[in-house]
Amino acid sequence: MDSKKSEVLQGTLDLMILKTLHALGPLHGFGIARRIEQVSRDVLQLNEGTVYTSLLRLQQQGWITAEWGASENNRKAKFYSITKRGEKQLEFETENWERISGVIGRVLRLEAEKES
Amino acid sequence: MSLRRESESKLRAFGAKVRGFLRGRRRDSEFDEEIQEHLQLLAERFVAQGMSREEAAAAARRRFGNTTLLQEGRRELQTLPAIESLWQDLRFAVRVLRKSPAFTAVAILTLALGIGANTAIFSFIDALLLRSIPVKDSGQLVVFNWSAHHQPDLHGHSGYGDCADQAGIGDCSFSLPFFKTVRAQSNSFSGLAAFAGPLDVDLSGNGAASMVRGLYVSGDFFSTLGVNTFIGRPLALSDDSPSAPPVIVLNHAYWVRAFGAAPSAVGRTVRLDSITATIVGVADPNFTNLTPGKRLDFFMPFSLADTVRGEWWRNQDRLSDPANWWVVLLGRLKPGVSIGQAQAATATIFRNEMLHGAPPFFKSEDAPALTLLPAQAGLNGETSQIAPALYVTMIIVAFILLIACANVAGLTLARSATRQKEMAVRLGLGAGRARIVRQLLTESVLLSLVGGALGVLLAVWGIDAIFQLVSNSPGTPFVTNVAPDWRVLAFTIAITFVTGILFGLAPALRGSRIDLTPSLKESASSLPGTAAHTGRGFRLGDALVVAQVALSIVVLIGAGLLVRTLHNLHSINPGFDPHNILLFGIDPNLAGYTDQQTQQLYANLQQRFASLPGVESVSYSEDALLDGGWSAGSVHIDGAPPKQYANTGQLSVGLNFFSTMRIPMLAGRNFTSADFAAAAATNAAEKTRDAAAAKAEPSPPTSAPASPTALDEAYYHSAPVPVLVNESFAKKFLANQNPIGLHMSDAPRGDAEVSNPGPGYTIIGVVGDTKYAQLRRKTAPIMFLPLVSNEAHFELRAAASPTALVKNVREIVSQAGDNLPLTDVRTQTEQIDQILFQERLMARLSSFFGALALVLACIGLYGLLSYEVARRTREVGIRMALGAPGRDLLRMVVGQGILLVLIGAAIGITTALGVTRFISSMLYGLHANDPVTFAAVALLLTLVALAACYVPARRAMKMDPVVALRYE
Repeated sequence: MDSKKSEVLQGTLDLMILKTLHALGPLHGFGIARRIEQVSRDVLQLNEGTVYTSLLRLQQQGWITAEWGASENNRKAKFYSITKRGEKQLEFETENWERISGVIGRVLRLEAEKES
Repeated sequence: MSLRRESESKLRAFGAKVRGFLRGRRRDSEFDEEIQEHLQLLAERFVAQGMSREEAAAAARRRFGNTTLLQEGRRELQTLPAIESLWQDLRFAVRVLRKSPAFTAVAILTLALGIGANTAIFSFIDALLLRSIPVKDSGQLVVFNWSAHHQPDLHGHSGYGDCADQAGIGDCSFSLPFFKTVRAQSNSFSGLAAFAGPLDVDLSGNGAASMVRGLYVSGDFFSTLGVNTFIGRPLALSDDSPSAPPVIVLNHAYWVRAFGAAPSAVGRTVRLDSITATIVGVADPNFTNLTPGKRLDFFMPFSLADTVRGEWWRNQDRLSDPANWWVVLLGRLKPGVSIGQAQAATATIFRNEMLHGAPPFFKSEDAPALTLLPAQAGLNGETSQIAPALYVTMIIVAFILLIACANVAGLTLARSATRQKEMAVRLGLGAGRARIVRQLLTESVLLSLVGGALGVLLAVWGIDAIFQLVSNSPGTPFVTNVAPDWRVLAFTIAITFVTGILFGLAPALRGSRIDLTPSLKESASSLPGTAAHTGRGFRLGDALVVAQVALSIVVLIGAGLLVRTLHNLHSINPGFDPHNILLFGIDPNLAGYTDQQTQQLYANLQQRFASLPGVESVSYSEDALLDGGWSAGSVHIDGAPPKQYANTGQLSVGLNFFSTMRIPMLAGRNFTSADFAAAAATNAAEKTRDAAAAKAEPSPPTSAPASPTALDEAYYHSAPVPVLVNESFAKKFLANQNPIGLHMSDAPRGDAEVSNPGPGYTIIGVVGDTKYAQLRRKTAPIMFLPLVSNEAHFELRAAASPTALVKNVREIVSQAGDNLPLTDVRTQTEQIDQILFQERLMARLSSFFGALALVLACIGLYGLLSYEVARRTREVGIRMALGAPGRDLLRMVVGQGILLVLIGAAIGITTALGVTRFISSMLYGLHANDPVTFAAVALLLTLVALAACYVPARRAMKMDPVVALRYE
């Protein structure tokens, strides 16, 4: 595969899906995959099947719920939406992510300074 | 914070797994639908971008990733993989077991027999020894027991088999006044009740007169136990008053049996002995009896004890005499009061009453003491006798189960050797060793589960069979509810799983520990040279056969000893001819007959029975011989040194007793009618005197006897009672004298110095020795008196089987008197069987289980050798092709079997030598290490084992060498 594309970090897909549902409201799996594709601008290499594993995990934790409904072209599809608990989790995860990425960023910069 | 989050999220995930597991297949298809939809949308997009349909579909699949892996991942997330794979294991196990039906059938049957036998016997132990008394909070109930260094001087002292015999002096009988004292003074109990009995009571007014068993209870018996009535009311304190109208409460089972469960029974009146009582209620069906194993039909208040009386009480005052000890005290502890506190408080009351009461019964050096026992442990009178037999049987069936385990383990082992290739393939494909062990254990547990289920059916049947065996003997202490309860169920489930693991573990561990390469090669295991890696397995198989043989030898020897004991007891000469004799009891006292009427009745009946066709001769006696009952007393023989008394059994008999029983006359003459008249006159004089004395002095005399009255004189001068003695009496007490005409007098009661001034006895003849109460007892001196009052057991000697006479006998008795119930109708041989009941039960059970053990051991041996022959097919083929004679082959196979049997027999016999002494108290006429039994069992086992070896050996001999060489 294209070497510029990066593997999705374990756990970050969950965060991305939560955020997507938070931002766009109820979506089916295909829609979520399209949105991530669109936002990542082809940087991320994604087996779209893994979206469904992630959706299951989120459902089990009660962060999202699923419902059968009709898609845009009137086909049966399962729509996922974020729950109250999911909103809270998203907030927590977002903070966590920012803190960790901040730390990692600082560490990497530090290393870079040393090298130069 | 995050820790809590983490555990919370794990919990949620688990919940989802359980939900997913339960919803199963629907999830699969829904998920599939969603994936297909996604793939299609992707493909449509690719088509829109200009790809062909095929290209688009392929690209979509690439983009999406592996759908199978996704489904698996989903399953892992959404279901419980352990249970899923257990289900797989189970289905696989069923397939594997169905593929070898012979093995499966033998294994299941073997296990069913082992588990069934254990469940059946445990059900009995549970019902008789473990189940708690069927009342509310039975843990709070305590039974009073007393002990002392010295027997108290009492007017009456009875027990009804509620408590086991104590080692020293003491039991659980008290007087009713003491009961009232404790009730008044103690504050440890929320309820205190007394009961006594049950007593045989003549009940009429509901069909034919019958003997029923009534328990005297205090008015607070039902409230203390917390037992309610099914219909009607329970007995209450007000029923205790002597002026209260007579009322009784029926036991539920009796109500169903005698009144057909008619609710109208409540309110009806019945006659009990000579009084009329009203039925006021029927007890709760769950409450059968307090003391396990005792049958009782109804409850009556103590206030009836003055009118409904035991015949041997004579004119004793049972209700208010503190020197009459006969009731069991039962207390319910107050909440918060420990048994120790209650005991300390009541022991003080007891000591006070016993040392300083009126009258005092003990001196302080007698150390009278009172203990409270939990009712469950305290009321074990009946069961304490049967308990050892039950425990021995339990050990026997435990042995059977071990044999069954060894047997199935051996079979499984032999089979696992043939499954080596399968195991190797599975290991080779990457199965973990634990997974394989689990698979094999699943198979064995499945086997034992099916075996256990079948075993429960066998147990139900077995309980029924044992019940039949038991209830064929009337009067045996066994009437109880033997129905599996949760404890039995738990026991069976436990032994089923333990069994499955026990016989499955060794083969499973061995099966999973194999060397891959040789096993995968086609015929590795059929070449003798390469059998080295299986060597351990065969030694294990051999060990299992040896263990089975050893265990079954022990069981067989135990059975042999018990069977020979029964045989010895049966071949004892009782001193009379027990064949073709019909026995039954009649108690005219209960129907209100006077002594004179009784004598007339007996004479009348004797005559009418004798005229029945087929009856050779008729007599009667106070106790039937060998019915377990007996009386004894001490006499002083004229001419013997003073204070030297002869202790002898005593039996009152009717006319023609000795000729009817075919007891030989050795000297002197038989009883004549004149002897009976003389004895009757003396008896009447004594009774008149006693009645007058009782009237003059209501409470029994404890002071020095007053000077003789005219009635005393009349009694003293009546004729001595003519008696016969048996040979033992003559030998023991009258060594060098002519017994005929000798005079004897009753030994004085208590510590009185003077000899009893009564008329005494004259010996008129000597008869041959007989056994009296029990076969096991040594023949003892007996003195036979003419029967002139009291109940009697009739003996009818018939020409052939006497059971056909029963109908005629009943007719004659009911013509003679309405209220005369016949009791204990049986033949003399049945009577002997009945007193040998326990021996017979043990002999039958143990020989049945012994045979079972033998069969199982032979199946084990046969299985091992058959497998051996099959495994060595090619070797045998080569040998035969090279010209080895058939006999050599026979010797090879049989020799291996015999070697195993001999080792097992040696171990078994050594073990038996050590353990049979534990049943020596059950044996009669032989030593616990009886050489005949040991030799016979060893011989039997060897012969049967030879047969088990011969069959597979013959198969080996008959093998066609060509077929054998082509094998595999």
